[in-house]
Amino acid sequence: MELLDNLALGFSTALLIQNVLYCFVGVLLGTAVGVLPGIGPTATVAMLLPITFSFEPVTALIMLAGIYYGAQYGGSTTAILINLPGESSAAVTALDGHEMARQGRAGAALAAAAVGSFVAGTVATVVLAVAAPPLARVALTFGPAEYFSLVLFGLIVSITLARGAPLKALAMIALGVLFGTVGQDLYTGTPRFVFGQRELYGGIDFVSVAVGMFGVAEILRNLENEHTRTAIVGKVRNLWPTREDRRRIVGPILRGTGLGSALGVLPGGGHVLASFTSYAVEKRISKRPQEFGRGAIEGVAGPESANNAAAQTSFIPLLTLGLPAHPVMALMVGAFIVHGITPGPNVITEEPALFWGLIASMWIGNVLLVLLNLPLIGIWVRMLRIPYQVLFPMIILFAAIGTYSLEFNAFDVYAIVFFGILGYILIKCGCEPAPLLLGFVLGPLLEENLRRALIISRGDASVFVTRPISAVLLAVAVAALVITVLPAIRRRRETVFTEEE
Amino acid sequence: MRTTSRYRAAARTIAVIGVVSLAAACAGSGGTGGEGATTGGATGGYPEQNITFVVPFSAGGPTDTVTRMIADPMAAKLGAKIVVQNAEGAGGTVGAGEVARAEPDGYTVLMHHIGMSTAPALYKDLGYKPLESFQMVGLVTEVPMTVVARKDFPPASLKDLVTYVKANASKVTLANAGIGAASHLCGLLFQTAAGVKLQEVPYEGTGPALTDLVGGQVDFMCDQTTNTSGQISAGEVKAYAVTTPERVKSLPDLPTTAEAGLPQLEVSVWHGLYVPAGTPQDVVQKLSDALKAALADQKVVDQMAKLGTAPVPAEDATPQAHKAKLEEQLATWAKVIADAGVKAS
Amino acid sequence: MERRRSLPDVLAGGIFVLIGGAFVVGALGYELGTPLRMGPGAFPMLVGATVAALGLAIVLKGLVAGEVIPFGPIPWRAVAVIVLALVFFGFTVRGLGFVPASAVTALLTTLASSRVRPLTAVAVAAGLTAAGTLIFVVGLQLRIPLLGPWLGF
Repeated sequence: MELLDNLALGFSTALLIQNVLYCFVGVLLGTAVGVLPGIGPTATVAMLLPITFSFEPVTALIMLAGIYYGAQYGGSTTAILINLPGESSAAVTALDGHEMARQGRAGAALAAAAVGSFVAGTVATVVLAVAAPPLARVALTFGPAEYFSLVLFGLIVSITLARGAPLKALAMIALGVLFGTVGQDLYTGTPRFVFGQRELYGGIDFVSVAVGMFGVAEILRNLENEHTRTAIVGKVRNLWPTREDRRRIVGPILRGTGLGSALGVLPGGGHVLASFTSYAVEKRISKRPQEFGRGAIEGVAGPESANNAAAQTSFIPLLTLGLPAHPVMALMVGAFIVHGITPGPNVITEEPALFWGLIASMWIGNVLLVLLNLPLIGIWVRMLRIPYQVLFPMIILFAAIGTYSLEFNAFDVYAIVFFGILGYILIKCGCEPAPLLLGFVLGPLLEENLRRALIISRGDASVFVTRPISAVLLAVAVAALVITVLPAIRRRRETVFTEEE
Repeated sequence: MRTTSRYRAAARTIAVIGVVSLAAACAGSGGTGGEGATTGGATGGYPEQNITFVVPFSAGGPTDTVTRMIADPMAAKLGAKIVVQNAEGAGGTVGAGEVARAEPDGYTVLMHHIGMSTAPALYKDLGYKPLESFQMVGLVTEVPMTVVARKDFPPASLKDLVTYVKANASKVTLANAGIGAASHLCGLLFQTAAGVKLQEVPYEGTGPALTDLVGGQVDFMCDQTTNTSGQISAGEVKAYAVTTPERVKSLPDLPTTAEAGLPQLEVSVWHGLYVPAGTPQDVVQKLSDALKAALADQKVVDQMAKLGTAPVPAEDATPQAHKAKLEEQLATWAKVIADAGVKAS
Repeated sequence: MERRRSLPDVLAGGIFVLIGGAFVVGALGYELGTPLRMGPGAFPMLVGATVAALGLAIVLKGLVAGEVIPFGPIPWRAVAVIVLALVFFGFTVRGLGFVPASAVTALLTTLASSRVRPLTAVAVAAGLTAAGTLIFVVGLQLRIPLLGPWLGF
């Protein structure tokens, strides 16, 4: 049983006292930066990288990995409590999670997220241990044409994130894609829509868009009716999920884990798609799709599981091939190099203790996270009792500091203002912000892969349908568009009629 | 009464945040204490405060790694703490521009690579002039590059590659890590040397480019040993040559471009330290001496060897040698880039 | 009541048309390229036109059979104060330093609520500045000077 030997080696490495300790430090830091708006895992890993130079290589990598997946846990907390997603995946969690918090069920939402993440993390660790090398090979068959089709599919799927009119959701997605084009063009270096500002060459920062469209817009909405409405949050009903909740989250967690594990392997943006593909699936197969967006616990459990599973399987290309799938992993490649380990396919054979130790540490990290997060839920929920007059200045100030600290770029702070006002007006007009956010994240991938596929095929657009994986994905995308838009129109007609009666 | 309890709740929550942040502080400062803050006896005058090293690229990248390697021994020699700060954007021109506008007092130092010599040709309205806005301190290292291809790419040697791409110029794809990246420059030089114009496929950084090369989606590229040596030794990519006059220790079997019959393809990612123009000469001299000391440090030599590179000889870690290199490189790249018709803005 | 005009729909659609159109106009200034090598202008042009077209559809639908959404009041005071606070922070954090910039931003933001009492505002601003300093500067080792060069440091 080679696998058992390997796992034994992994756990004997990961359970060394300093490794457990730094795994804990990593997940704790990850949770902390995930909770704070603005500062993300990439910035944290970048800041802590030099500190790890003096560690043993495996200890350093265990801690850095811990920050990465710990931040995925922490990010959902802010999304649920104050509707402020720090990453695109958390934007999905915010939809139903924050709605649940408003109804006084923040505890249940946080618990569903934590338990879902733990199950997903455990399963994904097994996937990593059992099937990492063959999965990495599958991922390599994805070329630009396949990624274009995958991203297009993802964009269409994100229509389901809105509960309102599909036409508006579609327009918001396209608008997000459009904002994603700001910055230096990858192919020619031409700066686009930057108004001569060099600070905009790198594009608009995601955090600015998220803080503006979700955070600021939400605060303005809440300040509208100050005189008539005192508390934003209903009375906290129960801290833990009810029996009914527990029954409802089993399916979403398992499906989300499967989806996330599969999509996470793809280095060209697969893990970005995981959480909202899961949301779309849950909404579609649910018997109560009308509850989605109004506090459906499935809409928290599924995406959170998918997100955490994907966060873990996205280490597969890095560990088996030395190819980073995420900026945090690019930094980890730097950590490999500094420790004299050449990242590449040989790590598995030349450094088995490191490879298996890191995998085992991920499961330990997940245990630590669940132990850390479940008791914290009570404290987080209490945070909702902070009077709004204290809470909203805190959100604005911390968001401004966090966003500024990313690149020490004042433009990122001004962008919050722009997107806050734009988001506020659009939300008032019945356009929901989540689809825009996903369009913004996926747009650059869409353009990049479209143009790259066309260069490689010599301008022959038929590659998208002649390459089998791409063709299948496109067909699924078209089917998704049809089934999303058609029933929505029919349903809307029905509601119009019922309202008129 | 209700208000009081609410405020108490708020206070409690802020206390919790405080605890979490304290934990972060312990992890942060504890580590820094063990690793970074090397403060020794000052030599009178400069330096009297922390020195900031600006890296105009992302943390964890090759340039950042090199900077952090030399920062510690330099700090020990100077007797001041060195803080590394990343200011990425627009091919390193954002960070370079910041340092060009900084006080010329020696407390803001720029680490830049070959991009310093290519930016004037790539960007208009740069906001600074490499030779006039900066005072050179010294060269640091020259990272070799390698020509690599997907493993089932037909040509067997560098000579074959040149013949092959000439015969199939309309079909071959040449990947790079983005406009102005080292891999882009090396690719331009390859096309000039081979006398052929190829279809370039830019990527957002080395990681994705290498992923598609390993996956066989693109044909070949030219990138730093730092990024390619793992894939080369595992046989995931086919390697043709290394672009420096000497072979690389970590890849002893790989011929140089001169040995393989394409001597015009000589390029390395050279790194140097800069301070704003107008910095006092004795400050520049102190920095340069500290750099020399750092480059002679055995730990730095070992760390660089693992990256597939080495410190420059002591006589190159001087303002004079650095200035000569920059002048020569500015002229070279102005021509190569103009010939290729590339413009970033 | 078969046809209903929806002002929010028309407004939203108008915004889409405006932004989409602006990007199309901007994209005209960049090279469009060929299908083999799409220029920097091609993709924004395509997407900009899509946004504008969708916006137009929303306007037309809004005139005939729009969604009826209560638009509600606009908290002008909050809008103005929050915009001012954020712009102030971006503009002065480098010059004034972390503490003064945070304090003024926090104080301005608390004023967004029309129900706030001056003393509470000052207390909240002071507390948040302290918490922010503790978390970001002490905890996360953020490299922003506490007091900036404009104050003579």
